[in-house]
Amino acid sequence: MSSIVRQAKIVDTQSEFHEKVVDIFIENGFIKAIDLKLDIAADEVIAANGCFVTPGFVDVFADYREPGFEHKETIVSGLKAAASGGFTDVFLAPNTNPVVSTKSIVEFVQQKAKGNIVALYPLGAITQDIEGKSLAEMMDMSQHGAMAFTDGWKPVQNANLFLKALEYVKSFNGILLQIPLDASLAAGGLMHEGEISTRLGMAGIPILAETVMIHRDLELVRYTGSRLHIMGVSTAAGLQMIRDAKKEGLNVTCSVTPYHLSLNDKALLTYDSVYKVSPVLRSEQDRKALIEGLKDGTIDCIASHHRPQEWDAKAKEFEYASDGMNVQEIAFQIVIDAVGNEVSLERVIDAFTIQPRKIFGLGNVSINKNEKASLTLFSLNDSFIFTENKMQSLSRNNPFITKEFKSRIVGIFNHSQTHLNQ
Amino acid sequence: MSLSVKHLLGIKEITTQDIQTIFRTADNFKQVLQRPIKKVPALRDTTIANIFFENSTRTRISFELAEKRLSADTINFSASGSSVSKGETLIDTVHNILAMKVDMVVMRHSASGAPWFLSNHIDASIINAGDGTNEHPTQALLDAFSMREKLGDLSGKRIAIIGDIMHSRVALSNIFCLQKLGAEVTVAGPPTLIPKHIESLGVKVQYDVKKALQWCDVANVLRIQLERQNKPLFSTLREYALFYGVNKQMLDSLEKEIIIMHPGPINRGVEINSDVADSKQSIILDQVENGVAIRMAVLYLLSSKAEVIE
Repeated sequence: MSSIVRQAKIVDTQSEFHEKVVDIFIENGFIKAIDLKLDIAADEVIAANGCFVTPGFVDVFADYREPGFEHKETIVSGLKAAASGGFTDVFLAPNTNPVVSTKSIVEFVQQKAKGNIVALYPLGAITQDIEGKSLAEMMDMSQHGAMAFTDGWKPVQNANLFLKALEYVKSFNGILLQIPLDASLAAGGLMHEGEISTRLGMAGIPILAETVMIHRDLELVRYTGSRLHIMGVSTAAGLQMIRDAKKEGLNVTCSVTPYHLSLNDKALLTYDSVYKVSPVLRSEQDRKALIEGLKDGTIDCIASHHRPQEWDAKAKEFEYASDGMNVQEIAFQIVIDAVGNEVSLERVIDAFTIQPRKIFGLGNVSINKNEKASLTLFSLNDSFIFTENKMQSLSRNNPFITKEFKSRIVGIFNHSQTHLNQ
Repeated sequence: MSLSVKHLLGIKEITTQDIQTIFRTADNFKQVLQRPIKKVPALRDTTIANIFFENSTRTRISFELAEKRLSADTINFSASGSSVSKGETLIDTVHNILAMKVDMVVMRHSASGAPWFLSNHIDASIINAGDGTNEHPTQALLDAFSMREKLGDLSGKRIAIIGDIMHSRVALSNIFCLQKLGAEVTVAGPPTLIPKHIESLGVKVQYDVKKALQWCDVANVLRIQLERQNKPLFSTLREYALFYGVNKQMLDSLEKEIIIMHPGPINRGVEINSDVADSKQSIILDQVENGVAIRMAVLYLLSSKAEVIE
């Protein structure tokens, strides 16, 4: 099987053709030839005039709900959503039922994703059954392919246990991921605590719930010297603490969700549960700070926090509705739409591709001759209306349905396969 | 004469003109309630469901009486606890009731925004009888209506709301309503019961109840919810009564005679002493009486009948 991508512009600082418009010849999963113009015939010709080509996107946190919640999403439907969203590599949340806290569930997940165009990497749980009480078999899971470790939507609250977890993974150079949220300070809260929550009469989650946790975790990283990835940072104050910690040289990285770059707490003015997410949507000031953080590189990468919920789970009073947003297949469009004028395309691509690979040791991918063909193809000058019938995910909890975007994912190349969006 | 809205979800969703329209209509209904025959045929053949997912005695009775005075047919549905605990969803519960050809829904619910959610899923007019810690619009309307009876135009008047502001839908609706009518609002109570960002709504904060009383024309004293005692919000009821309770001695030491209100039910000897609640300065029972007239006005104005009769 061979393909040729004709006249796409490369955005990849590691490629000798960075910012050049080229033809790329792919055969058996490798870039066999690349030049301004190639005179080679291929089984598949993709006319990519006006499109961009980059290394494949990586999503460092998505929740496919299988096993246990297959009516919301399955690994197969989730991976279709990923391909449609331009992702070639996805890290899977462990908050399933049973949770990913043993080798056998790691292997189950890998088995389900076998042969797929998208590479799926299970994240193992830090604590047994994500109960926050005792350590899970992280070493065994690591040996069998768990990418890194996290308790996902239920960050580890016990400081001593998290300290031990950070120490424990040092022997195999493991990384922990954590959503920064102190559950006692967030207890009962439904949204960002501020003017809007006061006006809506909804219990707020103070910024403090994030900053206290970040402070604690940074102290633990300082003490252990272990590696921590803070995901879903949502506040300006929390981001600044991470910025300072990085300056100090601590082993910490972080990611942001597409919706925290795009939305603020005003979205909740009509009590619409589609905007009930974790961490909560913060103020406009926080949103702007996150964009600044993406720009200056404090935010290393993007985590979609893709969390499908069926209609029934969301069609409830706000307080009782399940949280999460189903965004993976338009994560890139949301980010471009939110930061397009303020953050360079190069930096956005860096966050989607190069940084996550570096942090988690995925192996570098660059658009050069003889490299593995793991590529994403997109256009920034298009009219793309995101509609329900284009959605690959099994669920529809996405507030961007019917929104028009200027960017569009054309397709991906990975694992010797091609996926092109219709 | 009608309102700018289809539902009464909260005071924040209605205009000042709506409030004035409700007051003028309530003036008329209040007169009706003084007559030997207190019933009018305004809502004949209108069926109203009172759906209470949270316990309520006075609000439910007040609504029911208002409906009966308007000649509406009423049905009552109470579920202890939330709809979720019963396994049925809110939409299903309400659809089941509406399937029996009900025209309007009066709903109390423990979740903030529940009437908003419902309004997106059903056609009938919804009147919010209290949702979580959000709003209790008819209470705020009857409170302001009662103040207006005593003070006339509320513009520039000073109202202190005292007690548990954090968990009170009465406080929030009162703030919005009084501000729309041009009054100044101060909230007073222990810092743990005052929302951190309340000043962003344009109200003042006072931790010293005595000073708040000194400042105001009207003090609306809120109920301390005894069931919240297990949360670390204040130490003991004794200490609360000692430092935040309103007593006669306090009132007598003020330079002027202020009006005392309370939405009920009262915890005598906690947030308010009997010598205050039963004093000449208290208009607590006027509030209860006005509640019926206000609810008649709201029901009438939101019914399809209002425009037809005009």
